[in-house]
Amino acid sequence: MSVLTIASLTLREAARRRVLAAVGALTVLAVLLTAWGMGKLAETMHARGEPAAELAATFSILVLLLAYMFSVVLGVGAAFVAAPSIAADIDSGVVLAILPRPIRRSDLVFGKWLSLVLLAAAFTFVAGAIELAVVRAISGYAPPHPAVALTFLAAETVVLLTLALMLGTRLPSIAAGISAVVLFGLAWVGGIAQSIALALHNESVIRATTALSLLLPTDALWRGAAYALEPAAVAAAALTDVRSESPFAVGSPPPAAFEWWAVGWVIAVLAAAVISFQRRDL
Amino acid sequence: MLGLARPSSGSATLLGAPAGDRQCRRRIGYLPELFRYQDWLSAREVLALHAALAGIERTKRGGHIERALATVGLQGRADDRVGTFSKGMQQRLGIGVALLGEPDLVFLDEPTSALDPVGRHDVRHIIERLRARGTTVFLNSHLLTEVERVCDHVAVVDRGHVVAAGTVDDLTRGVASVRLRLGGVTPAVASVLARGGKPPSSVAGWYTVDGVDDGDIPQLVADLVAAGAQVYAVEPMRLTLEERFLQLLQPAAAVPP
Repeated sequence: MSVLTIASLTLREAARRRVLAAVGALTVLAVLLTAWGMGKLAETMHARGEPAAELAATFSILVLLLAYMFSVVLGVGAAFVAAPSIAADIDSGVVLAILPRPIRRSDLVFGKWLSLVLLAAAFTFVAGAIELAVVRAISGYAPPHPAVALTFLAAETVVLLTLALMLGTRLPSIAAGISAVVLFGLAWVGGIAQSIALALHNESVIRATTALSLLLPTDALWRGAAYALEPAAVAAAALTDVRSESPFAVGSPPPAAFEWWAVGWVIAVLAAAVISFQRRDL
Repeated sequence: MLGLARPSSGSATLLGAPAGDRQCRRRIGYLPELFRYQDWLSAREVLALHAALAGIERTKRGGHIERALATVGLQGRADDRVGTFSKGMQQRLGIGVALLGEPDLVFLDEPTSALDPVGRHDVRHIIERLRARGTTVFLNSHLLTEVERVCDHVAVVDRGHVVAAGTVDDLTRGVASVRLRLGGVTPAVASVLARGGKPPSSVAGWYTVDGVDDGDIPQLVADLVAAGAQVYAVEPMRLTLEERFLQLLQPAAAVPP
């Protein structure tokens, strides 16, 4: 019960502090700008008499780039919203008034996490679906598995917000937020390094980057989203020739075992957040 | 005691349960010294949040919230955002939150630190009303005049150790003194004043004799008269709690006359 009280409090805070309004307004702005740009592009291609296949190929690349930008915004946003969620309440003394109530410290962690997951998932699916609908209306192009792609993007966001929340149980807000973003960047670089290592058949780098993708599964989850968004031909090309593999050309989706690993990762890091917060003197 | 910090050693019980026990915390109200409430909530919403977290039945929450607002005099600002409150009003809200649900035990950590004299007077009355209702109030304060006025039992803590505990009378008993305005202070009178020690100094005919309890005063006066002194005035004096506190914590420090 206390979990739901804390979760609804956090959702109300997001609304009252105009986080929802700001994110909503920026989403509308981003959709309008991309719609205008893609509209102009489609108009030019039609005027030049480009074949439909060329239009689809161009828009498939655009969709991947947009999704990539979206994943970075989601990741960084999740880090900076989740990091202060507990850390700022510790710094300001809000938890001193709340925790003497007959609630568990884990209630506070689970409540915050639940509300952040709801916000992240709602934003990912609503903003992502609007953008994909706009692409389809303008160009007629629809990626192969949009719902799967948005699920992977939401999962990537949940991974990062869980990490930032855990770091915030020990570090001040800014340090927790920056640490989460830096680790997010490291995982991204690890993904690129893995593509290069695969092309060069460098086993030690492949092993190191695979370990990195298990330690922080954000980049590997992005690749799940990219696979669901890219045309089958791009995936096939990346699969047959590893040199064409990149964050925007993924040969195969993450294996099911990795998806379970990511679920276990979130549970483990959330448990670590609870234990860390329980052991902290306030 | 409320589970915010882990004990380095030992154990404690509160209301018969181990300190920090979750169910027991239903019966406890707490005002932290350095606290903040969600500044984007109204006073009523802060109280509603705490009523929910305290496990007060949904149907009874409204009544409890209104009573808490009335107790701390915030009915007129109940729907204003806490962020617009002065420190003193936030302090009042904090006391209201601590009293929510009529707990059996209330911890107030420096409850009057940000309040003006009217606010302090109000808090004193709130504490007296709680006491009359049978609620135990654990008041932690550096304002010893407040402590002296409202507390039945006092403990002086220095660096984590209780150095003295008891009623205010217990703590200040045996360290009282008496001021006397005397004439005809002959050596015989001076030896009565000295009571076996060094004779007290005088300021404008006033002598201060330390270590005299109320009950010893008639005998002292009788001895002085018998020794030939003219007694014009007798003023029994007690150490204030603050002076006793200074004595306890700084034994070498001079206590102001």
